[in-house]
Amino acid sequence: MDHIELSLIQSLDHCIKCNICTSACPVAAVTDAFPGPKYVGPQAQRFRHAAQPVPDASVDYCSGCRVCNQVCPTGVRIAELNARARAQIVAERGMPLRNRIIARSGLVGRLSSGPHAPLVNFTLNFAPARWLIEQVMGIHRHAPLPKASTYTFRSWFKRHKPATNGRRPQVVYFHGCSTNYYEPRVGKAAIAVLEHLGFEVIVPPQRCCGLPLLSNGDFPAAQRYHEYNVAQLLPYARAGIPIVGTSTSCTLTLKEEAPELLGLHGDDVRAVAAGTYDIFEFLRNLHEQGRLRTDFRPIERTLPYHPPCQLRAHRIGRPVLDVLGLVPGLRLRESRAECCGIAGTYGLKREKYQIAMDVGKPLFDFVRASGQDLALCDSETCRWQISGATGVATRHPIEILAEAYGLAV
Amino acid sequence: MYDTIVIGAGLSGMLAAIGRAERGEKVLVLAKGHGATHWSTGCIDLLADVDDPFAGIAQLASQRPNHPYALAGPAMIEQGIARLRAIGEAAGYPLAGSLNRNLLLPTALGALRPTAFAPATMIAGDARQLRDGRPTLIAGFAELRDFFPPLIAANLRAQGIAAEAAQLTLPPTGRQRDFSPMTLARLCEQPAFRAKLGEQLAAHVRKGGYARIGMPAILGLKHATEVARDLQNQAGALIFEIPTLPVSVAGMRLYQILEDELLRLGGHIQLGGFVQRAEGIGDTLVAVFSEAAAREQRHTARRWVLATGGILGGGVRATPEGHLRETALDLPLQAPDGRAGWFAPRFLNEQGHPVFQSGVRVDQRLRPLDAAGRLVYENVQVVGGALAGYDPIREGCLEGAAIATGWAVGQH
Repeated sequence: MDHIELSLIQSLDHCIKCNICTSACPVAAVTDAFPGPKYVGPQAQRFRHAAQPVPDASVDYCSGCRVCNQVCPTGVRIAELNARARAQIVAERGMPLRNRIIARSGLVGRLSSGPHAPLVNFTLNFAPARWLIEQVMGIHRHAPLPKASTYTFRSWFKRHKPATNGRRPQVVYFHGCSTNYYEPRVGKAAIAVLEHLGFEVIVPPQRCCGLPLLSNGDFPAAQRYHEYNVAQLLPYARAGIPIVGTSTSCTLTLKEEAPELLGLHGDDVRAVAAGTYDIFEFLRNLHEQGRLRTDFRPIERTLPYHPPCQLRAHRIGRPVLDVLGLVPGLRLRESRAECCGIAGTYGLKREKYQIAMDVGKPLFDFVRASGQDLALCDSETCRWQISGATGVATRHPIEILAEAYGLAV
Repeated sequence: MYDTIVIGAGLSGMLAAIGRAERGEKVLVLAKGHGATHWSTGCIDLLADVDDPFAGIAQLASQRPNHPYALAGPAMIEQGIARLRAIGEAAGYPLAGSLNRNLLLPTALGALRPTAFAPATMIAGDARQLRDGRPTLIAGFAELRDFFPPLIAANLRAQGIAAEAAQLTLPPTGRQRDFSPMTLARLCEQPAFRAKLGEQLAAHVRKGGYARIGMPAILGLKHATEVARDLQNQAGALIFEIPTLPVSVAGMRLYQILEDELLRLGGHIQLGGFVQRAEGIGDTLVAVFSEAAAREQRHTARRWVLATGGILGGGVRATPEGHLRETALDLPLQAPDGRAGWFAPRFLNEQGHPVFQSGVRVDQRLRPLDAAGRLVYENVQVVGGALAGYDPIREGCLEGAAIATGWAVGQH
């Protein structure tokens, strides 16, 4: 038993059954399929034993948004209990083909992006094809799928020449699958901002952070990815070079999700976790140290901003609001919606699509009511969900920051 | 860098934050999670066991100069409550009552509980009205566990109130299980759902001639006043809510209006930020560290308010070795010497148990003191349940003391 397992078991006794989590849970609010965090977490956990069959599979309807953890007054780690319980089900019953595929975002991205991307995008926009995919694969026909890019971020970065040379402080950029295969513009904006701030940016080899595998319950595969990434990032972490990511879910996985869910506590894993930063967390730290350039052009706009669940799970407040609040004229209206519903791959699944749309409704209403043609959000799948549901373009806040610095991306 | 960071998002912390934000300060409320508001009744208890709470408070303050009421002073009690009521009024959720006369409202067990102010949705349940001889119906749902109308009605009858009980039939909802107070509150916000509810209530009134109907406090989260009014009009009887066991929808409403007000004033709230330790220089608190993924987050401010609650709220914890600890800043606590002194021999001891008077000892400005009476931090103030020298639940002054001290530190 690792120390996380021990702390999870102990945390069962911290649950005082007050139901604050169940009242805040966005999934339990819209469906009977999920009885709520208290039931599937600290209560059901008492009936789960390694040597016995899983008593109840409803934990699979947990979207992993971690609102329960955030509101719990006694510190029960419900989301971790649920993720581990799902992994136990997968280990026992196996994983559906659909989940095996959508959990490998690196592989899917590699196959989709490149010169043939327009064909892929056309097919995935073609209703009969989506109907077929739904029948065969169980991916809902209306679920928001990203547009594959005709080039990868890495291929762009290889050709990229920094504007200035000479000795500069270094940072490592962890781009994640979505930036590499679907939204290279996010990575280009991050590189532009970091270079503008005087950094030399290093992009070491990297694979998927493993979060989709963790949230679909394939822990062994997630561990292989994590170990690869740790090996690649470790020399930089050891040298004190910060690892910065634009995908808030990838950075959370490196910092906490993978080590805690997989029970990896070696020095190497810890060093990488401690050296990893969400990009706006990194920028906010720079500002607190007086090292953030503030040569902003005014942007006279009021934009809706959704802090995604995976960012809130960092437990670092709202670094985007703190940093973008420095841009003259720019006002962000923070959504108070719990979740957009998509939760990574959750809302893609045929049986969970409607739940995800119902969960996200308050957010969609908020974005539509803003009357703006642009919304901001730090997490890629949430951006696709918001855009898919509202038709409002949704971008990473780093893109607005690049614009405020006057950087062409 | 904030002007003020408030640690804790209960009633006292939120009022302190609102007060500071109103003065133009940059304010952050940093809290571990939701807390005491979501467990409490949504009423404002000032002092139990007296008819006139304000007079009782004056007497208590003269006898116990270290009681939070004595430290805050009567003006802060009055102004804090006035401000809270104004916030409720503006949000369409008025709180009714008086500083000088306790209401007696039924609990979910049918006991009568003194409280000074209650949301308008509960006010018709005052025992003085219920004793007018006209029949009262207590109505609930079999699906809502922990709220048993027959038990409530029987206990009210034993206290001379003509009460009867009925279980309502839940209108069709598409939901089959797990009806928490929150589930029902969400359903009540749907006009079609409450219209069906109103029809049933009207039928009961026609049959039993009830003047009033007591229901669990689930009549909506954001539009409770409107829901209660609609049901009242349809039923032809006065409706009053009875607070449920946790989670308490009425308590959540109170939190919600305070959160709305703080955000409107430009304040910030960070939930899931469990403050674990402090960094001080001399008697100045410079920073606190909250638990976060992979490493702690450091927060800096000029001034601080500790509003983490007492033993119930989690601001005071016992270690396995039998010591009490203040969880956020590790401030010295005023507490019984050893575990042997925590409890009185009788479980239902009328004077309460000494351990529940544990908390942080403070000076006249609510700043923390150590055992020798020396100031620990000159830029920290302590409010609400974290304060020593009183037993807020037994004395029936949990909300009153929280409001008085929270408002006091918000003002200067």
